[in-house]
Formats: sequence, structure tokens, C-alpha cells
Amino acid sequence: MLEVRMVTKRFGETTALDRVELTVTDGEVMGLLGPSGCGKSTLLRVIAGLETPDEGRIFWDGEDITRTPPHLRRFGLMFQGYALFPHRTVAENVAFGLRMRGLSPAEIRRRVDEVLSWVGMGGMGDRGIEGLSGGEQQRVALARTLAPQPRLVMLDEPLGALDRLLRERLIVEIRELLSRNRTTALYVTHDHTEVAAVADRVAVMREGRIVQVGRWTDIRSEPADRWVAEFVGV
Amino acid sequence: MRRPAVWAVAALPVVFLVYLFVYPLGRILWISLSDGDGFRELLSDPRIRTAVWFTVWQAGVSTLLTVVAAFPLTAVVSRFRFPGRDLVKAWVTVPFVLPTVVVGTAFLALGAERSVVTILAAHVFYNLAVVVRTLSGVWSRIDPSLVEAARSLGASRTRAFLEVTLPLLRPALAAAASIVFLFTFTSFGVVLILGGLRYRTIEVEIYHQAVTLLDLSTAGALAVIQLVGVSAIMFMYSRYQETRAVRFRLVPEAASLRRPATPGQRVVVAAVVSTTLAAQTLPLVALLARSLEGRAAGWRFLLDPGRLAIRPGEAILNSLTFAAVTALIATGVGLASAHVITRDPGALGRAFDTLLMLPLGTSAVTIGFGFLVALDWPVDLRGTAALVPLAHALVAVPFVVRATVPGLRAIRPELREAAAVLGASPRRVWREIDLPLIARAAAVGSGFAAAVSLGEFGATSFIVRPDTITVPTLIFRLLSRPGSVTFGGAMALAVVLMLLTAGVILAVDRFRTGELGSF
Repeated sequence: MLEVRMVTKRFGETTALDRVELTVTDGEVMGLLGPSGCGKSTLLRVIAGLETPDEGRIFWDGEDITRTPPHLRRFGLMFQGYALFPHRTVAENVAFGLRMRGLSPAEIRRRVDEVLSWVGMGGMGDRGIEGLSGGEQQRVALARTLAPQPRLVMLDEPLGALDRLLRERLIVEIRELLSRNRTTALYVTHDHTEVAAVADRVAVMREGRIVQVGRWTDIRSEPADRWVAEFVGV
Repeated sequence: MRRPAVWAVAALPVVFLVYLFVYPLGRILWISLSDGDGFRELLSDPRIRTAVWFTVWQAGVSTLLTVVAAFPLTAVVSRFRFPGRDLVKAWVTVPFVLPTVVVGTAFLALGAERSVVTILAAHVFYNLAVVVRTLSGVWSRIDPSLVEAARSLGASRTRAFLEVTLPLLRPALAAAASIVFLFTFTSFGVVLILGGLRYRTIEVEIYHQAVTLLDLSTAGALAVIQLVGVSAIMFMYSRYQETRAVRFRLVPEAASLRRPATPGQRVVVAAVVSTTLAAQTLPLVALLARSLEGRAAGWRFLLDPGRLAIRPGEAILNSLTFAAVTALIATGVGLASAHVITRDPGALGRAFDTLLMLPLGTSAVTIGFGFLVALDWPVDLRGTAALVPLAHALVAVPFVVRATVPGLRAIRPELREAAAVLGASPRRVWREIDLPLIARAAAVGSGFAAAVSLGEFGATSFIVRPDTITVPTLIFRLLSRPGSVTFGGAMALAVVLMLLTAGVILAVDRFRTGELGSF
């Protein structure tokens, strides 16, 4: 279980996160919804350990991990631009996290094949990154994030750059993958249809603060304030 | 969280720079001041006043001549696309990457007198590529519609050049001219070989005072003057770049280059290219020809120097060993420095960026002189062979830094972050992400470091010992002996050095992807 307690993060004059409170229970997919620039990505980066909060604490299963460096958190983060390693093949990208965990080459190969087939990229492991289409890159990035079985999966606008048709197909696949493994996940987006399709609960963010948390249908029927009502389009 | 790690990496270059550069310079300053006579002697000695004056005016004239001589070729490669254009640009760069000793020897091979004119000619020959490459890098990418607009507004071809192209080129021109001025201001090998006893730059005078006359305080005072001059040039250059740089959009070369359209243009292109190429090739051909004279007497001398206590084979072996060790040291220190520069956006990174360039601007002779007077503490390194590769590495580190910093900057931060989230420790991130992505650039940098070491003459001439003599110092020694056989030997050895350097540069070129960065 992830607990974010009163986390504040400032960059110079601007406050990116303002006393953020958030709890994600085991096996839950939490959607994080808000307009661009509201601090969603910063929150993910703080949870991943890529930024240190100025105030507040982060707990995993009751253990304070606020100061734990990112490589020891065993979380997974899928980056907005995918951040695939250009000097490595598809399979080597997916294998990276497994190598860091010290798995044997045989285990790594088995796991890479398995995860690549989940995302429909079976048999494409030897391909380079440069030649892949946007949709393929997105699948490889997802596979790379899921392969080491992270305790928490964070997806930052995973479908952001893709065209509408592709998004609608991939959103279903992501939902299946997450529920198949009962993955605890945080899914960041500014798109309503994505949260509706993927998330068990949704946290709505505005200007660095979480303004409402609840089931999507509940937020839509009982928005916390006027701004939320307009944003979720009631 | 990340800062202590950066400081730890910074320790290696800091120790390197402080011990090998800052501390020796301090000792030079101390020597020049403590004696008291140093500066007073300078002002009263007419020979030294002559040397200072000569240094300044020959650098000015050399710079002017280089710009003028480079202009036709620069204009041609900046405006026209023609078969072999890249090859032409590469070929005129050859003299610039050759050791100064080879350039000086090549002009002797031409049969030129030891005179001012020869020195100036050698400086033009050596530095031409700086102007051609720096200027054409901007000129060939100026949007042609700017000139076309001026023409349609009624400007003649000349007027359009003066009013549009030239102002846009001014920063690049200033950059090229400052670099050439700096190089010729600190010119040592060429002047020592071609100036004989009559013409001396400050650089040569320092050598003369320290090594021949053993007058360390005068040499120290001269080195301080030299340092002040170099700093002034670099300061003015950076001031100019900051205040005068006009920002404008560059277009890709492909969009601005045209085929020579009229027969007249084709004749001009052919004439300019062929004369410049001939001028940039002739001295090297003369060098080769001279080495083969008298049934290759020079080469036979190298193989069997007779009673002379000279072992060319050993010198070649020494030079190659030093080059390898230099490349190793420079790559280690350079990669650590590049890491600090790119990972610390604050004061530490910026300070590093500037400090590391200083040894490159400082004259080689000053570095050698500093080693000589300072490196007897804490342990006496002066009796060891380590001194030579350390001096070479000091000069070579900036090449590794310059080669790798752009690559490191280009690595998107998310790649490192993705690796960290996937479980890679900071050290592992460097090994898995940074290193593979800049491996080629690092190879280029260490190749240049090796080439620098092969040709280094100024610093080496102070610190080299008879049993670890290098190829450039042996060439100089052969040239200072009377007799046509040793002269031929010097020619042959210069050919060897030319081929070794060319070999390294060609090997490096296979790794290179982009243009040669700023030098």
C-alpha cells in the first residue's frame, strides 16, 4: 500500500505539489487526472524517488521510503516520452530491470519473451528502437516497466502521443494487463475516457493539490466543487 | 542526494589540475617575483623588448595574412556545392593537425630561408584551416534569401556581401581570428626552427632563458607576461562573443549551397580550390622529396646513425608509449570532468568548464617550465619518465572534454531516470547509459589526445630526458646539427611523425560522426 502524506514540492517560486495526500491500496489502479501543469508528473517523480519532497513523507506498507534512492524502491515508472534506451534492442530494453535485479540469463530470456508476448511484440526482441512506430515503442516501454514485477506501476500519460484509434485499442490492453497481475498502479492522464476505462478510483488534481478522490462515477455525480464539475464535464 | 557523488568524481580532475597546473604556475610567479631582478631586467634588456614586440606584431600580421589567404577558399566552399567539396575541406585541415615541428621542418625542406617571411608563411599554412572551417561553418548556413532580399532591394553583389553576409559572419570571423592570434602569439616550434637565433617570440625566449642561460627569474617573468597576454586575448574574445553575437537562424547547408552555374563560376571554383590545395600540399611533398634525396640518405641515416648517440627507433617507441599513456590519463580525467560539467548545472560545473580550458590556452612552454621548477615536491618527479605524459595529458584533457560534453548533454535525462527506476545505482547508470552512448566520442577524444602527445614539442623540450627522447625533440636535435646527412635524417623522421599523426587522425575519423567541434 502506498501512502503519500502532506507532500510539498517547490521549484523556486512555484509550488508544484501542495500538501498532497494520497493512498493507493494493494491491487488498486488509481487514476490521477488533471489539466497539464497541475503537478501530476511531479507527484509521480516524487513517488519514484527522482525528486525529493521539501516537506511530507512517503510510505510503502508502513515503511518510510522518502529518502530511499530510486533504484532501491522497486517501483516501475513508464515515462511520457517512453525513454527507451536507443543503444539497446527491444529485448535488451525489457531485460534491463531484470539484469539490475541480478536474474540469471535463462530466467531473463524467459521473462522477456513472456512480457513481450503480453504486449503483442513477441518475436520482435531483436529489433532496434529507432525503427519502431509510436505504438510499438509504447508497448516496449510498458513491457520494460512490467517485466521486473514492480511493487507499484506508474504510467505517465502512456497513450499521450498516439492517435485516437490506437489509444482506444491500447487502453483495453493496459486494463487487462494490470488486472491480470492484480498490479497496484497509478495512471496519470488528462483524458477522461482513459481514467474511465482504466481506473478503480480517481484522484483529481488542480494546481498542485488533490481536490477530490473517489470512484469516477461518484465524482461525476457529486463533484466536490464547481471547478471539478466543469473539468469532468458534468 | 546527488551532489556528494558529483564532488567525489570532481576530486580527480581537481587534484590533476591543481597539482599540474595551478601549483606550477604559482611557483613560476613566485620565482619571477622573489628574485626581484626578473621584471627589472626585462624592461632594461633590449633583446627581450624586441622579443615581446616581435611576438605581438608577427601574431597580428600572421592572423591578417591567414584570413586573407583563407578568404577565397572559404567563399567557394561556403557558396558552392561541387564534387570533392568535403575532401577539399578535409585536405586543407591536414596541416593544422600536424605537429608544429613537422610544419617547421617542411618549410626548411622547401629550401626557405630562416626569416620572418618564412615564419609568417608557415603560420598561414598551419592556421588556414581554422579560418576556413570556422567561417564556412556559418557562411554556408546563412539563409540565401537574406542576400536575395538585399539584391532585390537594389544592392549590388558586393554591397549585399558587405551589408548582409559580412555582419552576420563577424562573430565567426572574430572567433577564428582570435584563435589564430592566440596560436601564433604562443608559437614555439615553428619559430624555434624557422627563426634561428635572430627571431624569437616570448615563447622561444622563455626556452632560451631557462634552458640555455639557466636564468630562471627572467624566464619566470617572461612566462608571467606571456600568461597575461594570453588571458587578455581570451578575455577580449569572450567579451566580444557575449556582446556582439547576433542570433539568427541557420539553415541546413543543403538549402544554401548551389552548383556553380556559369562557366565563369566554374573557373573560379577550380582555380581557387587548386591553388589553395597546391599551397597546402607543396611543403609536405617537399618534405617527402628531401627525405628521399641522395638515394634516401635520410632514411639510411635513421636506420644506422653511425657513431652518433641517436636512436631513432627508440624515440619512435618512446613517442608511441607516451601517446598511449597520455590518451589513457586524458580520457580518465576528461570523462570525469565532462561528467561534472554536465551533471552539475551550478557554479561547480561552470567553473570546471572554464578552468579545464586554461591549460589549452596557456603556452606549452609555460607548462613545461612550470613542471621543471615545481614538480620536485612532494616527490621529485623530474627524474622520472612520468613527467612527459602528464604534461601531454594536461594539454590533451580539453580535447576529451570537448569531444564528450555535447554527447553527454544530448542524453535525455529520462534515460538515466528510467534506468534508476528499473534498479540501476548511480554508478550502474553511468556504466549502462552514459558510457555506451558516448563511447565513440570518448574514442575520438582519446585519439586526439594521442595525436596531441605525438606532436607535443613545447613542454616536452623542457622536461624530456636523453633516455626518453621523443620524435619531435629528436627532429629538433637533428636540425640543430650541421651536416646534410643529419638534415636528411630530420626530414625522414618528420615524415615518420607526419605518418604516425595522420594514422591516428584517420583512425579517429572513422569514429567521428559530426563535425570537428571548436578547438
